[in-house]
Amino acid sequence: MRGQWKKLLCAAAAALIVPGVQAQNTIKIGIITDKVGVAKPYAEPVTDGAIFAANEINAKGGVLGKKIELQIEDDQGKPDVSATMARKLVEDGAVFILSLSLTPATQQAQSVTLETKTPHLTPSNSGDTLTTQINNPYFWQTGPLGSTQIATLLSYARARNYKQVALVGDNSDLGQLLAKFFRMGLEKAGIQVVSEELIPRGATTAEPQMQKVRAAKPQALVSAGVLTAENVLMLKAYRQMGLKMPILASYNFSVPVYMSVAQGLIDGVTFVDAYDPDKPAVKQFVAGFKKAMGKEPYNLNGYGYDGMYLVADAIRRAGSTDKEKIREAMQATKGLHGVMGSKEAAYGFPEGKRTGFDPNGMVVRVYEGDKQGRVLHVGLK
Amino acid sequence: MQDFLELAVGAAASGCIYGLLALAYLVMIRPTGIINFAVGEWAMVGAFAGFLLLTQWHWPYALGMAAMLVFMLLVGWATERVAVRPLLEKAAPVLAPILALLGMLVVFRESISLLFGPDPHQVPYPFGYGRLEFGPLAGSYQSFFMIGVSLVVFGGAWYFFERTVAGKCFEAVALNRRAAALMGINLARVTALSFAAGGAIAGLAGILIGPNISAHYLMGVPLAIQGFTALVIGGVGRVAGALLGGLLLAFAEQLTVRYAPVPPGYAQGVPLVLLMIFLIVRPTGLLRARA
Amino acid sequence: MKRAVLWVGGAVVLAAAAFFMGDYHNDVYRKLLLWIALALSYNFIFGIAGQVTFSHFAFYGIGAYGIVILLFYAALPWPLAILGAIALCVVLALAVAIPATRLEGFYLALATMAFAQLFIVVLNEGGAVTGGTGGLASYRLPRILGLDFSGRTYTVVIVLLVLATAAILRRIDNSWFGRACRAVRDNPEAAAAMGIDVARTKVIAFTVASVLAGIAGMAYAFVDNTVNPPIFGLENAFLLLFMVIVGGTGRHAGAVVGTVLLYLLPFVLSPLIGQHHALVFGVLMVAAILLQPRGLIGLYDRVARR
Repeated sequence: MRGQWKKLLCAAAAALIVPGVQAQNTIKIGIITDKVGVAKPYAEPVTDGAIFAANEINAKGGVLGKKIELQIEDDQGKPDVSATMARKLVEDGAVFILSLSLTPATQQAQSVTLETKTPHLTPSNSGDTLTTQINNPYFWQTGPLGSTQIATLLSYARARNYKQVALVGDNSDLGQLLAKFFRMGLEKAGIQVVSEELIPRGATTAEPQMQKVRAAKPQALVSAGVLTAENVLMLKAYRQMGLKMPILASYNFSVPVYMSVAQGLIDGVTFVDAYDPDKPAVKQFVAGFKKAMGKEPYNLNGYGYDGMYLVADAIRRAGSTDKEKIREAMQATKGLHGVMGSKEAAYGFPEGKRTGFDPNGMVVRVYEGDKQGRVLHVGLK
Repeated sequence: MQDFLELAVGAAASGCIYGLLALAYLVMIRPTGIINFAVGEWAMVGAFAGFLLLTQWHWPYALGMAAMLVFMLLVGWATERVAVRPLLEKAAPVLAPILALLGMLVVFRESISLLFGPDPHQVPYPFGYGRLEFGPLAGSYQSFFMIGVSLVVFGGAWYFFERTVAGKCFEAVALNRRAAALMGINLARVTALSFAAGGAIAGLAGILIGPNISAHYLMGVPLAIQGFTALVIGGVGRVAGALLGGLLLAFAEQLTVRYAPVPPGYAQGVPLVLLMIFLIVRPTGLLRARA
Repeated sequence: MKRAVLWVGGAVVLAAAAFFMGDYHNDVYRKLLLWIALALSYNFIFGIAGQVTFSHFAFYGIGAYGIVILLFYAALPWPLAILGAIALCVVLALAVAIPATRLEGFYLALATMAFAQLFIVVLNEGGAVTGGTGGLASYRLPRILGLDFSGRTYTVVIVLLVLATAAILRRIDNSWFGRACRAVRDNPEAAAAMGIDVARTKVIAFTVASVLAGIAGMAYAFVDNTVNPPIFGLENAFLLLFMVIVGGTGRHAGAVVGTVLLYLLPFVLSPLIGQHHALVFGVLMVAAILLQPRGLIGLYDRVARR
């Protein structure tokens, strides 16, 4: 038994003798992503966007005259591995860490970035509690918050004057968070949630849940679920039951996979998105991404892209790779326009807040046939 | 009441899928005692075969399904050959094949994930997406199709085990491996056939439920757990038990969601609590194996 | 005497290792040590007492959540909180074990699987008490007796915990109770005929091992100062089963070997082969079982015998 320990000790010692020295002419940025676990469908495209952005920045000369060096670690979708990877990145000299995995993984990695005082950004997670569960001044979130999503949906629906809605979610961690904040938003607007249902991961049907929805006679159905297959189950049961009420969906429905896997089911569904294809910055992004990566980008790539640009911008304004200076510069970010968000949206962290997505920056779009259609509404007007 | 009848068809359909998976477990457990948790991943492979043949290559449904079944027979046979036969030949401890199959579970899942990507894919409906009214009962075409196909499979399985000589061989092996070998039954062949059959049944379950739940790389494990639960409820001994267990599980799950006055999150817990109580009260399952 | 020297020496070497390693390696080391503690106690239920259970990780979680809730939400002083968490593990272990004596094989596996799933549902729906799906994170390891135990010192604490767990399990294994467990595992009727109370043996084995898992959980709670439902999910129970069987069922050294290998393998493979590492992991697992069905510890035995 001790033989094994001796071997581990030797390996550890060897790892120390060959230190993680970074070349003096690069700036190391760490990425924690999920390559094999449950967050892979979302983490993979976001990571691709971030890599594309880093390559684009390097092609234009890098940051502060140095090239960005990316170190990408896989947390396998496990929150406690995420924390371990955060430690590895810090030890290997990363001056900024991007968390592109699931919400609890980002949360657990924060315990490390708080302890090591390392700047930490999630450009894609939308769970509202990430900036509130612990007070970590080194952590920022620029994904579209659940509270922003419901506020945008409600501002679009204001003219309809809904009084009673159904809320359908799933049992994933983000799905439950979105459901919670959607409910809060609905109640604040004086709308009664007459039916709240949950489709568990791995369910074979959503008919019992939709029967309950039907029995409660809501005027609209708000979808807070983030699991694609389970959302499709909901759409199928909706059609089976002959339900007609409008569906207002979270940003999860903005992912293009719905166009292929929910064919014939999705016409007329309205959803919040942070991607306006008519925006000039988006058109430029699409052209560049297609040329570099050989495939058409979509909204998830954009989150990673914007995240990397935010980080590069903060480091540039800090004028150095000192983590404290970067923290101050990041917190002072204001008025930065990216790919995501409506035409006027800008990233910023006013009044010491650490959530940076413009609350006015989401749009409401509708599915026309099986395609993602036009923008119906912008922001919180 | 109308809700219940409407739910009944859907629940019966889900129950049939759980039952098919339980049957897949059963045809492998009875002759060998090996629990193959990879049946969920086999169902996933069947669903992806459906996606490839039917959605991407546009084969006619019957041909596509037949091709999938043949493919799954091979997959089942190959799994046994690679992961189980060497262990049986080495007289390995009972748990070793179970673990090797768990390793195969990971191999299947990751292979599909790397080949097709993490996004869900569509498996087509053979009869389109419509609704059929059958007297007071109503359900989707697919639900009726699932029930119909499952009844045929269960009928066939029952006939095989109860009425044919080959089926009796299986039973003999299940009851006493050594005696069966002494009587001249080829153990290796029985094992290989049981795995091939298990693969085909699981693949069938996958292609039937695939249009509803979409083919994706994470669909296997929940199905494997549900199938195992159905098997144990029904009692590991009898074909009819697998179907009964599946139906009970599906009805318990769906009726709980629809009618139980508990908050939505807790509705997932109710079938688990029921299951635990059931196991304590009736530890051998509902239907006893024939003596 | 020689035994004691070996244990103390081992403790010193393992603890000292913490001070020669950087932050990242310390983190991996701490988490690895806790998995080893879990594997040793699981090996006892599964390998030595012969019960196929999937509830071990649930008890890890009960210990972790228990200590956090009692210490920070019930605001108990730390000695009471520790005792309270242990008591909670004992009560729940008995609640599971006593009815479970009626169950064998598949049925026991299924009942404990259902218990593990139910635990996650309770965590997710626990509202403010368990922090729901986000878990609990806004706490820190408190100062005990005025000393701050975080960082490298905490690694030493965990080393001592694992060694204590190993020592306790060795002691039990070598006692008549350990032999009774093996007798029950191999042939319950013969064991009963020899006067062993089969049900009581099973219950005690399950409870002791589950409580040890709970204690490891209490240590886990302060490794990242975060507890959340995904950490304690059912997939981990399967991985633990793998570790124990791949290492060598029924052998303490086997549990350690299996855990070290399977825990560290993804960390080693991931930088080398990127997103394919999980596939390679599966292939290696199948290969390991095919080559050494009785566990990799068999290789060590073969070498030792020469």
